Amino acid sequence: MLFILCALTAEAKPLISALSLRKDNTSCPYDTYFAEDNSVVLAISGMGTVAAASATTYLLTRFGTKKEQDHLINFGSCAGKDPGMYLINKITDDISGREYYPDMLYDLSSAGLSFSSEKALTTVNHVVSSLEDPDQLYEMEASGIFQAGSHFLPPHRMLFLKYVSDSGVEDPKSITNAHLTACAEQQLSTVLLILGKLKNISEEIPSIDEDLFLSASYALHLSETLRHELYQLFVYARSENIDIEKILDGLKKEGRIPAPSKREGKEVLHAIRERLI
Amino acid sequence: MPSGNDLFNHPFSHIYVEKAASDHPLTQAILARFSKSVIIPVGHYKDVFNRPRQNFGIQKQSQALILAKNRGASIFPGAPVCQDFGYDHFYYASSIRNCIFDCDYCFLKGMYGSGNIVVFVNLEDTFSELEKLLAEHPVYLCISYDTDLIALESLTGFTSRWIEFTRTHKDLTIEIRTKSFRKDIYDKTEPCDRVIFAYTISPRSIIERYESKTATLSERIAAASYAMAKGFPVRLCFDPIIYCKDWKDAYSSMIQEVSENIDMHQLKDVSIGSFRIPSDYIHKLRRDFPSSPVCQFPYENINGVFQYPEKIRAGMEDYLGSLLQNLISKDRIYKIDTNQVP
Repeated sequence: MLFILCALTAEAKPLISALSLRKDNTSCPYDTYFAEDNSVVLAISGMGTVAAASATTYLLTRFGTKKEQDHLINFGSCAGKDPGMYLINKITDDISGREYYPDMLYDLSSAGLSFSSEKALTTVNHVVSSLEDPDQLYEMEASGIFQAGSHFLPPHRMLFLKYVSDSGVEDPKSITNAHLTACAEQQLSTVLLILGKLKNISEEIPSIDEDLFLSASYALHLSETLRHELYQLFVYARSENIDIEKILDGLKKEGRIPAPSKREGKEVLHAIRERLI
Repeated sequence: MPSGNDLFNHPFSHIYVEKAASDHPLTQAILARFSKSVIIPVGHYKDVFNRPRQNFGIQKQSQALILAKNRGASIFPGAPVCQDFGYDHFYYASSIRNCIFDCDYCFLKGMYGSGNIVVFVNLEDTFSELEKLLAEHPVYLCISYDTDLIALESLTGFTSRWIEFTRTHKDLTIEIRTKSFRKDIYDKTEPCDRVIFAYTISPRSIIERYESKTATLSERIAAASYAMAKGFPVRLCFDPIIYCKDWKDAYSSMIQEVSENIDMHQLKDVSIGSFRIPSDYIHKLRRDFPSSPVCQFPYENINGVFQYPEKIRAGMEDYLGSLLQNLISKDRIYKIDTNQVP
């Protein structure tokens, strides 16, 4: 699942529309939008690191079921020197001074984000009036999202996409919702390409036949420790493409499964190991 | 594991540079070589290397390079699971963490949370640390345990510097272990009888299945042979021996290929040892590499070290030992005594 966090509805509007996301009308702590096939969920966190961290935790706690397929994307506006959209490779929290590093593993050049589109970002607690370091981007949520997201996801499945809406303003109210939406709209095609790419990435963990494992461990009267050993034999068999069911069937035909006692069960476990290796 | 040539950035596309290491000449030389890479300044290398929940396997698909300064110790006593070759003062040095090769069973995957490579650029500080140790007693030092130094020689030049350092310190003997095909190091430097090049030798099928990105068996044999011809002491490490259904055929073919292409009498020595790994490391390997048979094998836990069941372990080691005894004198065959491993 792709989890998208935006601080403001104005930033999220083009995405909500392009992905045909529907608002969850049940009682949610944050405005939450879904894709019909549940492949995307987007939440509006509000401004600031606390709100962003809290919304991240809400999203990943409530919906994060298949961790090997989940990606967290923070899409939003920032202050910067040059217009455009940037992939963030370093986040500095201005208050704590701590630095955070999302992994930069994926080649997103086909989506329009080359290495030159990478930048470092500083998360501050106010709208900046000027750029202290013109090579940096400034915004108000990323460090909170990274810190909260790190409790759930590895650093290569957190992406920070920031578009420049201004180069610092004296009056925050001068940045209108319409302006934020218009800037987001300009980056929409790139964001959609990236989301499409991320959707296809899965780190599926191969699983064993749990039913077969449970029935075998009951039939052998295994203790907790020996159940772990049997489980490891199942995992090894899967990794070697050995049909463990065939081995178990053979032992059934020999009358050794089910085992009459714990002692015989342990011997059968030994026999399974012998036949596997 | 996701795959695909167009999915990942190329290796070292991103280089993290610790502020304390940024002015070091080696840092500057490496950065000049990777002028197209993205350079990301970091306060401390651990901020990147020790992040929680990193995926070692995925990171190996697009390894980042971290250039840092080692502030603590970089020379450590050799682990009991490692062969000391009869030396009294056995140590290993860690000047680079992680490797460009990608062996399924590598202990580094169990030891480190990150698949990225850390190069400690201040090798001269390691030399100073070592000189203090050498003032106390002779030292036998393995310098290529936490990485493959020869494979990274064109990046760091560390192997050459270690050789020169050893040449001028008569109480130091070093071992440089490798699975690389590179031979150019032997043309660049004069041999020293206290610099041992140790080639890990595995059967073709094991290399193809479990030792990704490493040199082929023929390439390793050719490199070892070349080193001997140039006058360097060479050790062959049949360690780790990896179990497979047809291990007897695989290992006898390998020994045949080795003996046909290497003058075994010229070897300094050989070592034999079946795969073994501390329990903490295998748990992490099993979690991170669920599809790897060598990680998932039902090993026995003997005093905190996971190893093959006695029958398999003794069978493989004895068989290999018997083959080698026909080729090299017994006193030059070293076996790890797994019963002595705590």
